[in-house]
Amino acid sequence: MITAAVTGLPARRHRTFGLLAHQFWYEQLSFWRNPQSAIFTFAFPVVFVTVIGALLSGGGRSSYFAGLSPLQYYVITIAALSVLGSCYGQLTVTLALRRQNGILKRVRATPLPAWAYFAGLLAHCALVSFIDVALIGAIGRLFGVPFPSSWFAIAVTLLLAAACFCGLGVGVASMIRNADAAPAVAQLVLFPLLFISGTYLPIHSQALNRVAGWLPVRPFNEALLGPLALHAGPDWKHLAVVAAWGCAGAVVGIWRFRWIPRSE
Amino acid sequence: MTYAIEVAGLRKSYGSVQAVRDVGFTVRFGEIVALLGPNGAGKTTTLEILEGFRDRDGGFTEVLGLDPGDRSSGRELRERIGLVLQDLAVEPYLTVRETIGRAAGYYLAPRPARQVIDMVGLAGQERRKVRALSGGQKRRLDLALGLIGNPELLFLDEPTTGFDVAARHDAWQLICRLRGEGTTILLTTHNLEEAQALADRVVVLSAGAVVAEGAPGAVGGRDAEHASISFALPDGYGVHDLPLPARAANGAVVVEASNTTQALLELTQWADRRGVVLAGLTVERPTLEDAYLHLTNQATSQGASADAPERTIR
Repeated sequence: MITAAVTGLPARRHRTFGLLAHQFWYEQLSFWRNPQSAIFTFAFPVVFVTVIGALLSGGGRSSYFAGLSPLQYYVITIAALSVLGSCYGQLTVTLALRRQNGILKRVRATPLPAWAYFAGLLAHCALVSFIDVALIGAIGRLFGVPFPSSWFAIAVTLLLAAACFCGLGVGVASMIRNADAAPAVAQLVLFPLLFISGTYLPIHSQALNRVAGWLPVRPFNEALLGPLALHAGPDWKHLAVVAAWGCAGAVVGIWRFRWIPRSE
Repeated sequence: MTYAIEVAGLRKSYGSVQAVRDVGFTVRFGEIVALLGPNGAGKTTTLEILEGFRDRDGGFTEVLGLDPGDRSSGRELRERIGLVLQDLAVEPYLTVRETIGRAAGYYLAPRPARQVIDMVGLAGQERRKVRALSGGQKRRLDLALGLIGNPELLFLDEPTTGFDVAARHDAWQLICRLRGEGTTILLTTHNLEEAQALADRVVVLSAGAVVAEGAPGAVGGRDAEHASISFALPDGYGVHDLPLPARAANGAVVVEASNTTQALLELTQWADRRGVVLAGLTVERPTLEDAYLHLTNQATSQGASADAPERTIR
């Protein structure tokens, strides 16, 4: 349906939108048809929240969990983790792999502009993030975590964060030479960061929190806290830190990104 | 713009390795030119520079009147050229039809998908996933992706590697049909029979430079060069009785002649006067393969001797 609409439209001003829709549509097809990527992206956060919910659903609010119930805390950090996974994690691995097996070269051989290719990827990653966060929120609700009410703030936060972590993903992907190493490199960067950012356990060290506050993950957790648990608006201060990292990643990406495998 | 492709003094190094040191050739509109050369001769690098994938270190390149190294005209160039790459690289979970439809959406004026599917012989496979295709079918899909944009100029990088004999002849027919429609084609191949069958001209690369250029029948001075005339020696005669120097090989004698017509005349007159026949008389010109091996060997050994003094200094 979309294909027909795009190929049948010679009009220039419809072309930009058509091209994006076309690209987005085929990214969706490639993603959902691949059972491995689809299951991996959704299974981990869902299983994690379910297990935590079953274990900790009785816990009340405590200062250890920053004044939240344990489950409330984990709904937030796992929501953030799922965005990281579907944007940063997915892009580093996918792009390095697509470059290595020549898919990027094939794309670059067509008149598709680079921005449209990346916009299609970004839209795809954002959609997957939204679905992930909705699933996590729904499971949290089953275990008694109240639904958030500030949808606008959530949408803004997620969209901005998705864009930034996609930028970081492209940046890291453009520095990875060997696709076989991509998952390891992506995890190597992410795993310690998750720990010191309080994703798995709350951190009560001032020094650690200060350091983590300048890295991208903790500010994103903080930025989700208001809209998801406190019915607050977008947390611009923390989002600004995330945005700075996203821009840095995008700059590295624009500077270093390669479409063809490195020739030895 | 007199040529579809014009290259002069092209240079490209990777670190200390000079992949292309001096490549220059032209391709006229509507022509099929084959780029030949052993692995590492610089074919792929040259092609990738012309396709806009790599920046050159020096020299002049023009493709359809545009500089492929100029990013601002990259989209226009890619709208007008088609590429068939060495490996099929598309999403494995899409169907043939989807893969072609996806690529078609990137062009302003693509060929109809239906037409391209028929052209490459994938009719009936439209609903199959790419991952389920055979090697030959994947190559056909690759060909389809090169054609979907209805290009003026087509780059074919080893287009029939992995094809069986019938599939190769189908592909050759298709390439000839495209030439008939006015498409200019630059192809690389290791199959010299293919170059002979398709190309109007061949350009032979060795060690990063052009070592010969010309019609496939003439390259390496082949049309001027000698032919081998072989026949069975008539009973009662020895090699030294013949009017021309000859050698015995595989139960026959072989005369290496630089002027084939004159040599044949002398031999047949000799036989006629003695009333004998030259059984199994065959005239063999060196094949493109002979010329190619000769050219590329020569270039490599020259390269080696040029390196030699450097080694002794160290």
